[in-house]
Amino acid sequence: MDLSGKNYKAFTERQEALKKQYGPGQAEKQHSKGKLTARERVSLLFDAGTFEEIDAFVTPANQPVEFGKVERTYGDGVIVGHGKINGRLVFGFAQDFTVMGGSLGLVHARKIAKIQEMALKMGSPIIGMMDSGGARIQEGVASLSGYAAIFHNIINSSGIIPQICVIMGPAAGGAVYSPALTDFVFMVNRTSYMFVTGPNVVKEVLNEEVTSEELGGAEVHGRKSGVAHMIYEDEENTIMALKKFLAYLPSNNVENPPVVADDGLTPDINEKLRDIVPDDPNKAYDVKDVINLIVDRNSFFETAELYAPNLVTGFARLRGKTIGIVANQPKVLAGVLDIDSSTKGARFIRFCDAFNIPLLTLEDVPGFLPGKDQEHSGIIRHGAKLLFAYSEATVPRITVILRKAYGGAYIVMNSKSLGGDFSFAWPTAEIAVMGPDGAVAILYRRELAESKNPAELKKELVRKYRDKIANPFIADELGYIDEVIDPALTRKKIISAFSALSNKWVKVPARKHGNMPL
Amino acid sequence: MKIRRIFIANRGEIAVRIISTARKMNIETVVVRNATEPDALYVSLADIVFDNTEDPADIPVFLNIDRLIDIALETSCDAVHPGYGFLAENAYFAQKCIENNIVFIGPSPDAIYKMGNKTIARELAMKQGIPMAMGSQGNIGNEEEAAAMAKNIGYPVIIKAASGGGGRGMRIVRKPEEMEKMFLIASKEAEKAFNDPSVFIEKYIENPKHIEFQILGDTAGNIVHLGERECSIQRKHQKLLEEAPSSALDDDLRNLMGSMAVRIAAAVGYYSAGTVEFLLDSERNFYFMEMNTRIQVEHPVTEMITGIDLIEQQIRIARGETLAFGQKDVRIQGWSIECRINAEDVQAGFAPDPGKIEKLILPSDSFVRADTGVRSGSSIVSSYDSMIAKLIITGTDRKDAIRKCKLALDRVWIKGVKTTLPFFRMLVRNPKFIDGSFTTAFIEKDLDKYYLNSEYEEMLAAWLATKLFEDENLIGKSPAADNGNNSDMSPWLLNKRINQF
Amino acid sequence: MNDEKPAIKKLHALSSENRRFTFTLPLRHKIRIGKRSYEVKLKSDEKYGTHILWKNRKYPVEIIRSRQNRYEILFNDISYIFTIETPFSLKRLKVLKQSTGKAETELIKAPMPGKIIDILVREGATVLRGEPLLILEAMKMQNEIHSPVNGHVTRIPAKGGTNVMKDDLLIEIKVE
Repeated sequence: MDLSGKNYKAFTERQEALKKQYGPGQAEKQHSKGKLTARERVSLLFDAGTFEEIDAFVTPANQPVEFGKVERTYGDGVIVGHGKINGRLVFGFAQDFTVMGGSLGLVHARKIAKIQEMALKMGSPIIGMMDSGGARIQEGVASLSGYAAIFHNIINSSGIIPQICVIMGPAAGGAVYSPALTDFVFMVNRTSYMFVTGPNVVKEVLNEEVTSEELGGAEVHGRKSGVAHMIYEDEENTIMALKKFLAYLPSNNVENPPVVADDGLTPDINEKLRDIVPDDPNKAYDVKDVINLIVDRNSFFETAELYAPNLVTGFARLRGKTIGIVANQPKVLAGVLDIDSSTKGARFIRFCDAFNIPLLTLEDVPGFLPGKDQEHSGIIRHGAKLLFAYSEATVPRITVILRKAYGGAYIVMNSKSLGGDFSFAWPTAEIAVMGPDGAVAILYRRELAESKNPAELKKELVRKYRDKIANPFIADELGYIDEVIDPALTRKKIISAFSALSNKWVKVPARKHGNMPL
Repeated sequence: MKIRRIFIANRGEIAVRIISTARKMNIETVVVRNATEPDALYVSLADIVFDNTEDPADIPVFLNIDRLIDIALETSCDAVHPGYGFLAENAYFAQKCIENNIVFIGPSPDAIYKMGNKTIARELAMKQGIPMAMGSQGNIGNEEEAAAMAKNIGYPVIIKAASGGGGRGMRIVRKPEEMEKMFLIASKEAEKAFNDPSVFIEKYIENPKHIEFQILGDTAGNIVHLGERECSIQRKHQKLLEEAPSSALDDDLRNLMGSMAVRIAAAVGYYSAGTVEFLLDSERNFYFMEMNTRIQVEHPVTEMITGIDLIEQQIRIARGETLAFGQKDVRIQGWSIECRINAEDVQAGFAPDPGKIEKLILPSDSFVRADTGVRSGSSIVSSYDSMIAKLIITGTDRKDAIRKCKLALDRVWIKGVKTTLPFFRMLVRNPKFIDGSFTTAFIEKDLDKYYLNSEYEEMLAAWLATKLFEDENLIGKSPAADNGNNSDMSPWLLNKRINQF
Repeated sequence: MNDEKPAIKKLHALSSENRRFTFTLPLRHKIRIGKRSYEVKLKSDEKYGTHILWKNRKYPVEIIRSRQNRYEILFNDISYIFTIETPFSLKRLKVLKQSTGKAETELIKAPMPGKIIDILVREGATVLRGEPLLILEAMKMQNEIHSPVNGHVTRIPAKGGTNVMKDDLLIEIKVE
């Protein structure tokens, strides 16, 4: 029986109507702004032919609309469904800006909630592509409660399945809490924005002229607020990067992340690592050079690159297996810890802990950023977040101290006594309560004041300090470092250490949750 | 006298060059090993290496006269070769060597001093009747004198430092109103570069060719010239390409200019190798500029067309031998071109591009001679010059030499640093270069780009960029079949994870 | 409903002088010139390092830097910068160029008082987001100041070796 017979008339008519709704005219509305349509985004994201849409034919809520008009369209402005991404089951939704501005009404919100609940039940990741004008004014409080339901679901799933948001258009007002609550946020430059209160209200209340871009564009969120983790110049690059990114993550908090075939081209022993740290302790180097020589070739995927660049976070692979990396970056602010980098690091560590991703810490930190700014803004509290996150994490944790490791910062960066599993140090490491200049000034204050040639004496004392105290061999001999290693062997050592830790299990304390400083 | 062991007070390419000839003559060589380049090529080729890696002194060893003398004495050297640059034209250094009974392979300290001071050199040239650009007899004391002199000579004029060259302390003045400012700038610059603010003034010759003559003299007073070198391809007074002979000279002009060069050398009782520089204008008038009292970077092109080893000649002359040939025995055959391959970024205005040379393959054709001081793995360090190699190509005539140049340039393989190769590849195809009509203004005025844009090379680069993009983004990294390596997960772990909730 | 949109079929490589090279996907190891196709291969060995083999000749290549879809390639001693665009992103570039008429200038200011140790770029140099522009020493620490945008340097008021105050203008970049 073919589809043109009368039994199938209703079926085919509806299919035609849906096709017409998504015709080229509609696509042009998005294309003329340099944006893709929701359907195009979905096909780019999911493996060809694997996407199954749900609730394609729902219509907006049947409740009486007291104010304004509501279009009778299919889908209510959002496409939801499931499909495979690189062969793995993933749930997702894509808001459709061409239908009532992608605004969120009751049915729109219900669709999203449905897919969220399914993702949680199946233990699969969920991706949301946001492109929406915000709550649907015509539907009043129903829209608002729709949002609340979505947020509640995100929170229920938080730490159980990976949740990723991609901002591909406006996300204003209440809508911004979705990205805030999810694990990672991708954002497209120049054609998307996020803000709680838009430029119009800013103008009204504060009489200040500001564009959407200036208030909450990708630059702002990537560099200044840290809300967006990954920024790309256009939509296709964003989606392709997202697919690459997903391959680092497990589907849920019980499984391990996928293993990618390692091409075996990364040498386990690399002498270039010996040349990276300069002889002059005040000269900087790029810690990403170290990372790229240790992990599988081309496998380092950095997160939040533009925010708090003095701490580098990201995922990488060792022999095809995912690890999370936290590293001080000496060439920015000398790698000190400050408020922004502490919160950046803490959130990343907690994500890795929730999802069983082992952590590698590369340390070269001279301390915390001094100054009234930091102190008055609560560096005490924020620095403690990093410490809390490390200490609480039960995933395998390895530290390699590359150069400086002074004082409180040394403790905070995953020291062994915080529960770190293995601590290695390069011969260039300096582990001490404080740096040589400060220490010498305090311990030999009198001698320096009385000396005829204080500069010479200080130079000599600093040299002695480096020899006797601030070298890694002392820590090694006292058992606070497991081994001082030849930098060339770093990859080999780390792989074998993680391998020993692959079955690590630590029971978490019996409590609802700790009281982490916030 | 016998020279058994030579101390080479230099590094890089010229040190390697001197070692090569010394070895041929069965003479031992001593070099200095420094902390900046402990694994340099010249260090591994010399017979004896003096380890100076722990040197605490502030000045580089090659400028440290006392240290160099100490090293020469400690290593029992009979002679010192200063190479070019560093202390090669420092009369005081030459004097000190002689005082310490070390033969200085170069001219007398007196000749070095006289020719090193441009005002004295001009005076001598005047006395000898050598054509020169009209100019001041001595140094100019102040702007008023300068203005008066310039009015006499006629603008444009050029202000030059008395104690040095290379473009420093040099300013062209085209209008009387600029004189005061330029005079001050020039003398300040001269003071900074040469510790001597003295300047003099000359008529500025527009767009000349730079022609220099190679001189060889012995201690018995015999002096010959070995023909000219064409060095007009310069950028900011730094030579990039030199050739021998020059297409601008015929035999008559060559003989005339050569005899002038010999005459000025004789005026200071010159011996060893030296170079007399002239400017040649578009009407075949030549003007003496200065004399360089050392072996020059571009000496190989003269060696290739005369068959004479100049370093060998220097050593023989230093030993007291007289020249084994006279002027009429000097025969010029063929045409030679030298390209200076430096580690510079042609696309960034020849900015130095220091770094490590990962791969270095130089052509081995019979018509190519490659003089180099580096090898694969060497670092080009910013504290020294950026020279990688001198590519010297010899042909039967100029057309043949240029043709062979094209081949040789395509056979050079360097990876790790950017080089001036694209510049030479463009130059040997440039019509003005090919017809020989270029002047010293060529690079600054006649070239709008320093390299050729090969369309299909760009396309190949585009292909590669596209391939990288495709590999990184469009070819999915397929996770292993068991999407999570979960069947390998130990039951211990799985059990614990599930039961923790 | 399963909407089958075709995968990306071709890619455009845009050079910094706006020349466009188009390649169909999947990328083949053959390039067409006029009527003939020639084979192109990317190889790497001990003697020559990474190189491209084309028409029986080897060319040295190096990937100098890459970021998202921008690549700087050193090919036979000349470096080229390309952005790789899909047909859609090419259209998007045109759309965005029209809407933001005026060229933006990004002003890089000193984030704190200090001394300029090293200026790492020249006037006219292309910079990519995240790349270092200069090194500022402050509070005894070395700080790399990075470019927040893609663009090229138009002016460098900063001078090496000098001291600067907070918010002093260091570098001006014309945004892409």
